[in-house]
Amino acid sequence: MSTPQTLDADPSITPPRLWDPVVRLTHWGIAVSVLFNAALDEGGSLTHVSLGWLVMALLLLRLVWGVLGPTEARFSAFPPNPLAALRHLRDLAGGHPRDYPSHNPAGALMVYAFWAMLALVTVTGLIMTSGATPMQVADDKAAVASGDWSALIKESEAEDDAGLRHLAEETHEVAANLLLFLAALHVAGVALESRAMRRSLLAPMLLGSRRK
Amino acid sequence: MTASPDIRTAGRRQTAALSVFLVIQTLGTVFFVGDVIGDLREDPTSMHFIFEAIVTAALVLGILFGAFALRRTIELLRAQDQALAVARGALSDVIDRQFTAWALTPAERDVAFLALKGLDVAEIAELRGAAQGTVRAQLTRIYSKAGVSGRAQFAAFFVEDLLGQGVPTPTP
Repeated sequence: MSTPQTLDADPSITPPRLWDPVVRLTHWGIAVSVLFNAALDEGGSLTHVSLGWLVMALLLLRLVWGVLGPTEARFSAFPPNPLAALRHLRDLAGGHPRDYPSHNPAGALMVYAFWAMLALVTVTGLIMTSGATPMQVADDKAAVASGDWSALIKESEAEDDAGLRHLAEETHEVAANLLLFLAALHVAGVALESRAMRRSLLAPMLLGSRRK
Repeated sequence: MTASPDIRTAGRRQTAALSVFLVIQTLGTVFFVGDVIGDLREDPTSMHFIFEAIVTAALVLGILFGAFALRRTIELLRAQDQALAVARGALSDVIDRQFTAWALTPAERDVAFLALKGLDVAEIAELRGAAQGTVRAQLTRIYSKAGVSGRAQFAAFFVEDLLGQGVPTPTP
């Protein structure tokens, strides 16, 4: 999309007053799961793997929604455009950010960065567990707990891809930390923008504004 | 405008329910596909695989159709909202012009508008800080200016134009 720079205040361009339920559910589902997995449980635990699968499912749904969803949820509404993002940041620094029909260009870049990191974290997580579903993880753990250690042997028997697994482990760690850094940046950006725009960007992601 | 637990809230509830359903459906599908892939690596027996592939395809198609249906519902709701806003604006235009045509005074305009909104004499009097007798006198003047017999006909004056059909004439 070539952004029309001369067009300043098009009344038809209004940001969504309320994001649709799928966007909201996936957003908060992923946010809570990522924070929980980062801070509150142990890597490799059943909870950690289950939440990882949950994040994968929500991410996939959001990507499907990016093609099938309503206008402002579709990829076409917020194409990655670094130049526009820089321009938006300059507007923001000047105190006069413009309205966009969907994510603003800087926010859009953030969205794509999030998705890339989430995909990376999920894929490396799958490599680390060799694709075991939470059900299998639970079975293995139950087996080990009951004294049958063959599950452990099965896991370590594939020596040849130990290198790959090690690499996946490192990447998982780094990507997860990067994800948290992005989240902090995202929250700061929302706060800053809400102040500059004098309207809450948080409300449309929660329940919408109450005023009718 | 007071809360109206009507079609629009129902529609909103429907989208919320459809969304939650879609999320659960996706969760189920992803876990199932993960399990299928696990099975495949252990024992890719052909009959079993074909059956599971069909189920997987059905689940994925279900998600796509669900998402599509949800999008349609959301767009329909938005169209309704927009139509309602347009109608509201148009109606208030019509009312404004009609009030001017009847040469209502500013005070009478206020009272007439409140009466159209369905407030009774006591409520209008309280809102405007006037005596009930004053409001009653104003309403009488409004009705006579509009040439209607009373409140029911006064309200019907504006609604009538919005209703497409005429009054059905009894056929012999």
